[in-house]
Amino acid sequence: MAQQNTLRNLSVSRAMRRQITCLDQKKTIGHGINIIIKYKINALLTVDAAQQPVGVVSKTDIMGAYYAGLPIDSPLEHIMVSPPLFCKAGDSLETALEQMRSNKVYRLYVADDRSGDLIGALAYPDIVGLLYQYCRQCEYSNLNRGSQTHKKDTIDRFKVREIMSSGIKSLSLHETLNGVMEALSAYRFGAMLLTDEDELPRGVISKTDLALAYKRGVSPDATAEKIMSVPVHTCDADSLLEDAIKKMIVEDVHRVFVADSNTNTLTGVLSLSDAARGRSGSCHGCVSSRIKVEDHE
Amino acid sequence: MQTTAASIMTADFPSLRPETPLTEAIRVFRESSRQPGRRLFGIIVTDNDQRLVGMLSMYDILLYVRPKHIQVWGTMEDIDVAGLIDAAGSRLKSIQVGDIMTPDVITVGPQVDVLMVLDIMIKKHVRRLPVVENQRIIGMVYISDLFNHLLERIGD
Repeated sequence: MAQQNTLRNLSVSRAMRRQITCLDQKKTIGHGINIIIKYKINALLTVDAAQQPVGVVSKTDIMGAYYAGLPIDSPLEHIMVSPPLFCKAGDSLETALEQMRSNKVYRLYVADDRSGDLIGALAYPDIVGLLYQYCRQCEYSNLNRGSQTHKKDTIDRFKVREIMSSGIKSLSLHETLNGVMEALSAYRFGAMLLTDEDELPRGVISKTDLALAYKRGVSPDATAEKIMSVPVHTCDADSLLEDAIKKMIVEDVHRVFVADSNTNTLTGVLSLSDAARGRSGSCHGCVSSRIKVEDHE
Repeated sequence: MQTTAASIMTADFPSLRPETPLTEAIRVFRESSRQPGRRLFGIIVTDNDQRLVGMLSMYDILLYVRPKHIQVWGTMEDIDVAGLIDAAGSRLKSIQVGDIMTPDVITVGPQVDVLMVLDIMIKKHVRRLPVVENQRIIGMVYISDLFNHLLERIGD
């Protein structure tokens, strides 16, 4: 399929971010949560006394520590995953994505091709960002059509329903945080929808919410309602993928729940990770449009 | 004659608690900055026993306000920035001082010489140093006070 090739020949260095957030492995989990919340990142790199990378602490690891009842002042080295996984700046994005998929990780750290020095990090949102930029520069982009929107659109554009993860698991507002953590771990989700007695969506609880609860000393036996985030960010299943990505970027969220306007129910989730794993821009003709953009650079 | 941190520190300084809502902390920043002669860039955070647990700086708050995916924005000319700032403001409401403060704070004892205080401020790129005695904070040395003190002595 054409969209499978969108990232071919693009190197990691095109998408990676150069700001890397590190913390000494001896620092506390509480300190690590501070950094993750403040910098709005999903994981931080831990380093030893010589500033050499030794591990990664993600929100999933923090959630595990909360569930296990580890004291918040435990050192990060007790929960970090070691060693951190690296790719090279010159690797293709396709290779890097495959490395992330096969190792079941959401980020890679980037080493300089020659020196091997740490120079960046690559996560799914970075890849989406690059794809979005291509779409934004493309003359066929729906975002660039402007006054031409009255003309018939002949481009085969991706809809949210083609990329989203179907099926939603939800929990009651009254579920305990322990129960929420068990469900997030079992389904490998980043967040869980919370519903009321009438099955109506009322809020979302994410690993970020749980990390904050851990930091603030909230009991894991407290109910999800106490720490959930509101409102539930949604988009329509038939909306254009590029519009949904824009919504996530602008609203500072990692995922939106997908509503089916026919049944008026939530039927799926679209995350920036889904969009990156789709390896596509916003339309089925993305390969040719990307080449056009590159030709003009 | 030796001049110590205690002699140039101020004992009148604002402080916050870790559980203080960030919106309240921002109000304290605003009010303190209205006081004549001082622009406040950081406020210490203490527990109920006046023990230092962290520092909240304007930079900490600005880091949190910065949109998560801003690196993608270079080509998004059609973004409603005004709406985004409002959205950032509403996100702040659920955050407490302890969530984003910097827990590692450099401190000095009251008997530390001012030139040592100067050296620490330069090497560590800090503008304020809490003065701690018996684990409790007793004052703050601001770089502006240090500057004025040293220039007065040089001018004498």
